[in-house]
Amino acid sequence: MKKKNFGGLDKIIPWRRLEYKDREKVMQNLASHEDWKSCFSEVAPGLLLFARQWVQSAADAEDIVQEAFIKFWRRNHKIQNRALLYAAVRSIALDFIRRDSRRARREATAVGETNEFIEPQFEFEDDTQRALAEAIDVLPCEQREVLVMKIWNELTFAEIAGALGISQNTAASRYRYALAALRNMLQPQ
Amino acid sequence: MNDLSEIENELRKLRPARPSPILFERIEEAMMDRRAGASHARQPARLPYNRLSLGFGLAAAAVLVLFAAVNMERRQERGEKIAQNSPAPETRPVLPAPRGESEITRSTFSNEFVPAGATRLVYNTRDEGLQFARGSGQPLRRLRHQTHETWQWRNPTTGASLRVSYPSEEVVLIPVSGQ
Repeated sequence: MKKKNFGGLDKIIPWRRLEYKDREKVMQNLASHEDWKSCFSEVAPGLLLFARQWVQSAADAEDIVQEAFIKFWRRNHKIQNRALLYAAVRSIALDFIRRDSRRARREATAVGETNEFIEPQFEFEDDTQRALAEAIDVLPCEQREVLVMKIWNELTFAEIAGALGISQNTAASRYRYALAALRNMLQPQ
Repeated sequence: MNDLSEIENELRKLRPARPSPILFERIEEAMMDRRAGASHARQPARLPYNRLSLGFGLAAAAVLVLFAAVNMERRQERGEKIAQNSPAPETRPVLPAPRGESEITRSTFSNEFVPAGATRLVYNTRDEGLQFARGSGQPLRRLRHQTHETWQWRNPTTGASLRVSYPSEEVVLIPVSGQ
């Protein structure tokens, strides 16, 4: 049996936008269980952002992504089932919320109204980007998840529809509504 | 921003936060664990045998339960006494009861449990980052400790012991001051 080589992959590959070919390659590797570290470093920021929609803390989002990714990797899913990875993240995140709602209430009572996390979901370069990130936060959940999947995870509408269990038209219209809402929020008064 | 494509381009420039390096280590660890366990757990050829043995085991247990039930019924029909009183205690106190101390008082004493030990095992600590208390400029570091606590009591008279174990979580906020 061929031994997998993880040497030299300890560095995190900086986030960059993937070209279509790259994306196919990354997911191909992901599905064939080769070089999971480099594959994961490519998809991880988008997956984490996707998970952060449901949980406030980055640590919780990482737990969710870890569980989903390992499930995906272990089950040897094909590239055609890419939406399954995002569906898994979503499902685990929703389970996490249900499981932790009691804990969250208890903690909120214990520390009073002092909880405000400052862990940002994005790396800002200027105030415009900060304003844009804040605007994304106030989008309705169903629009935000489509936006996150489309922009930062580069899924097609067909894949988004598959992951969320909605029609492609619904996915596309939610995306357009999200863009329009953001444009309205950021327009100078 | 007049056009949707313009806002789309702005969004594409926004970079998601990167995952922590610990996440990679954790996933690698989890994958190694599962890979090690997979050789035994995921052998399809063995699965039918496991199911078969489980089935045989359940069937055997069911037969035993049936046999016991039938046997009990027969005994009851014969009028056998099934339940028995527990035998009288064989041990007697070596020392006679002090004057003025009744048996009731002694039995109360014998029911007393005294704390014998407590352990708190912290098996995981997670740093959940910095946060600000509302209305305060001082950052706080949030740490979550996952522990397993065990309390133990002992009855010195009878030698009986009672142990309670439970998992617990503790969130600690530590003020961070910049120098």
